Amino acid sequence: MISIQLILLIIFGLAAIWFGWRVFMTSSMVRSALSLLGSMVAIGALFLVMEAEFLGVLQIMMMGTEMSIMAIFMMMFMMDPGGLGNMDMSHQKNISITAAVVVTILITGAALFADWGPIATQIPSPHEQNRLLGMEILKRSMMIFETAGVTILTGMIASIAVALSIKNNAKK
Amino acid sequence: MELLITALIIAAVLFGIGLYGALSQTNLVMIMMGIELMLGASMVNLVAFWRYLHPESFSIQMFVLIAMTVMALEGAVGFAIATQRFRTSGSVEMEESAELKG
Repeated sequence: MISIQLILLIIFGLAAIWFGWRVFMTSSMVRSALSLLGSMVAIGALFLVMEAEFLGVLQIMMMGTEMSIMAIFMMMFMMDPGGLGNMDMSHQKNISITAAVVVTILITGAALFADWGPIATQIPSPHEQNRLLGMEILKRSMMIFETAGVTILTGMIASIAVALSIKNNAKK
Repeated sequence: MELLITALIIAAVLFGIGLYGALSQTNLVMIMMGIELMLGASMVNLVAFWRYLHPESFSIQMFVLIAMTVMALEGAVGFAIATQRFRTSGSVEMEESAELKG
């Protein structure tokens, strides 16, 4: 039986795939970044369809910001951000396509032929989900969550250290 | 069952596209975009496993939060490397980074 959830899953899934494909098919870097934003928002919509409301909203908010910043970086660093020169910025295409197709077929095969066991029909309400996720973060997964926080701090320090100008350091 | 399979197939195709991008692109920012797509696909898998197999286990949602952290960190550190690379060589084309081979 085809349910509304299945139809929405297919619609947003196809949107995520189409936008993902457009990322590497357009010669304009700004369009690439915006296509990736579209793909990530479609993934967030998939989360919402799968009733993970908190994660869906978080995904859309985070990726909206990250992809906007990525679009700015694309314009800063690319030789031809508008794609007016139609430059080809790819290499080893055949190997890449083969690897991608083989991996997709393998994962799809695993998804189709694995024994997944019983499918859950009842899930907690959004309010209860948030409470349970909060309890998970503050109880069993607290150490993991704290580790993620420290890792973000380390990443911030590492990013600043890497991006610092070498010239300025030499002067000091 | 068809809902889980559909979500897993969507994630598989997204992962394939991301892998193609990460392997075929010569620009550092485009390679990062491929990696982001692969991480996005892995998150779709995780949420599908949570929703259709173990909705009582919130450690799976915790895992998704960790994957989002990895995405944000990958972006931050990747852009820092791109900034430094652009400063030193004027380009973020990875084909011009052969000296990193060692």
